[in-house]
Amino acid sequence: MAHDPEAATDKPSALAADRRKLLLGLGIAAGGALVSSLVSERSLAVEDKTAERQVTDAPSSNRADVEQRVPFYGVHQAGIVTPRPANGMVVAFDVIADTPADFDKMLRKLTERIVFLTQGGQPPSLDRKLPPADSGILGPEVFSDNLTITVGLGDSIFENRPWLKHLKPKCLQKMTQFTNDALVAELCHGDLSLQFCANSADTNIHALRDILKNLPEYLVPRWKQEGNVPTILPDSDGHVQSARNFLGFRDGSANPHSSNEALMDEIVWVGQGDGEPEWAIGGTYQAVRIIRNFVERWDRTPLGEQERIFGRRKMSGAPMDGKTENDAPDYAKDPDGKVTRLDAHIRLANPRTPETQKNLILRRPFNYSNGVTKNGQLDQGLLFIVYQADLDRGFIAVQTRLSGEPLEEYIKPIGGGYFYVLPGARESGDYLGRKLAEAAAAGPPT
Amino acid sequence: MKPHFLAATALAAALGYAGMAYAEDEDSKLVEPLAAYKSYVADHTEKLLENTTKFTAAVNAGDIAKAKALFAPTRMDYESIEPIAELFSDLDHTIDSRADDFEGKEKDPKFSGFHRIEYGLWTENSTKGLEPYATQLLADVKDLNHRIENLTFPPETVVGGAAALMEEVAATKISGEEDRYSHTDLWDFKANFDGSKKIYDLVKPLIEKDNADFVKKVDENFKVVDDTLAKYKTADGYELYDKLSDEDRKVLAAKVNVLATELSTLRGKLGLN
Ligand code: HEM
Ligand SMILES: [Cu+2]
Repeated sequence: MAHDPEAATDKPSALAADRRKLLLGLGIAAGGALVSSLVSERSLAVEDKTAERQVTDAPSSNRADVEQRVPFYGVHQAGIVTPRPANGMVVAFDVIADTPADFDKMLRKLTERIVFLTQGGQPPSLDRKLPPADSGILGPEVFSDNLTITVGLGDSIFENRPWLKHLKPKCLQKMTQFTNDALVAELCHGDLSLQFCANSADTNIHALRDILKNLPEYLVPRWKQEGNVPTILPDSDGHVQSARNFLGFRDGSANPHSSNEALMDEIVWVGQGDGEPEWAIGGTYQAVRIIRNFVERWDRTPLGEQERIFGRRKMSGAPMDGKTENDAPDYAKDPDGKVTRLDAHIRLANPRTPETQKNLILRRPFNYSNGVTKNGQLDQGLLFIVYQADLDRGFIAVQTRLSGEPLEEYIKPIGGGYFYVLPGARESGDYLGRKLAEAAAAGPPT
Repeated sequence: MKPHFLAATALAAALGYAGMAYAEDEDSKLVEPLAAYKSYVADHTEKLLENTTKFTAAVNAGDIAKAKALFAPTRMDYESIEPIAELFSDLDHTIDSRADDFEGKEKDPKFSGFHRIEYGLWTENSTKGLEPYATQLLADVKDLNHRIENLTFPPETVVGGAAALMEEVAATKISGEEDRYSHTDLWDFKANFDGSKKIYDLVKPLIEKDNADFVKKVDENFKVVDDTLAKYKTADGYELYDKLSDEDRKVLAAKVNVLATELSTLRGKLGLN
């Protein structure tokens, strides 16, 4: 039988009324107890609403969170130097667009949906005889909820289209296998990537469903991975330390400061003079890796060993020669790796020498937890997302240096891909990838 | 096959549409297409019975080669009328369920019908032990035939069937999991698309005038699907599913989704709930 939601909302109050009657009856029987029992019930209700709550009453959110809005228009896309909200998701797609005109239409439509979804609003209401315009999973009003949707293009979208090929960014390439990888074909690559980030996981899912419903002729999903960042209780002084990954270590401590614009221009954003096609200026390279963690084995590894593998203390996140997670390790004083092992994750990832400055990258990962493997182990890991102005000097150089690190015993990259994140749409009327679409329509130089 | 417009009015009267609760003025325009659809379905169930009789006879005679050759063409008549066939969920279950529908997969004693026989013919390369399934399949198809004859076609189901067929393909067929032992999925695709297009074509005259963009988009997408499938046509049917290129599989997936999206508005456009 159909469940009538209108009727159901009446239920709690009806039950409460019954209970009051019951109390009243008891009260009369108990004489003087009547007044006190009613009073105490009422004051309880005021002080502690949770006592009256029913099992399926919704967990409540707050207006400040759901109305959090990240501006869409700008030189760069949002979702890269934007502070990570609690929930993230990457979806890669195959794109059906055989002509520059189709490609252009897709970009316009995609931009239109992203603007609506990230800025919020009310979906149109249609005739009841038609499927509704919106999935409805967020209710009649779509709140912005801190949502960002970041669009990237993969190597294959350029390679497989003669009218796009000459416009491919110079470092864009198909992800290839590193020594420790066990790549699963169905979890790799794609013509287009969408990174969704929002305060709630439902906002991400809603956005994905909206895009699928509105662009069925252009986008066929290829793989998807959701993840989250644990929320962290601030210290007594209000400082929030880095969140932990599923190996229990703080993740993000030594990330370059994303609020430092000059630094981001250097590390993350492609600029004039980087030798990239004109349309690509203001964009960045995105490397996504789905990295499984063997958490059972990790939990059976001595703490000292865990810390040596990363080169940091587990609880504080401090480097081996420091006190807090913000302290910088001094490798110059430790040339033989007596304090921080030479093959420690952080030392290989960033040796902190003048020559390796050019390899700095901006990490923006999420933890994921999927289910159980055939072997009866937890399928958990890191949805590793990293941004850089030069893919070869960034992710690929760092990952190459990390190959063979002791951490490999505990991790297995199984999927992901490389994408070029389009520059931002400047203002209303502009759309993501406009310059690329225009260049594609103009045809290759003769 | 040609629509049976001539017979439509007579059939409608015979089927008693005018007396149905939903057959208000709004719906009277549907009488003709519904009658035409009913006769389309009747043709297919008749052919299904004919072919199933031959197919199961081949199985029972232990003629593997003949049984294999008849498997895909026989299924097509079922797949093209799936929106109606599925109304009888008990029969759909015994005729067309897959190993995935059972906890014990292929070895599950309840696994029966076309795909159980397909499993025997291709994976076990034998007709041994298939007789009971063949006998039951033929009985089920006869039963289906009989039930469809006596069915008053619900207009929502018929019109909604155009989208439902696309949803079927989108959810469970694009991956090639339907005919996983014989890899004859492209035959099923063809039948599903034809079945969907048949319904759409029958009601198209009713909506064409007010929905030019819709009609254009649906026609275009059906055409791409047709052209794509045509590339895989062979003398007596279709190539095996493994031959379908990744590129074409993606195109089909996208077109199926577009058609499912567009055709989902067909009922509403005709004023049906
Ligand atoms: C599951 C896989 C991984 C885990 C669990 C992990 C964990 C960590 C942890 C705990 C830190 C120290 C805290 C911090 O600075 O954030 C760290 C630092 C770092 N990781 Fe990873 N990481 C993983 C994969 C990678 C990959 C694939 C790369 C790049 C190819 C990478 C690059 C870095 C870099 C550059 C640093 C900062 C080093 C520094 O500047 O001192 N990590 N990682
Ligand atoms: Cu089927």
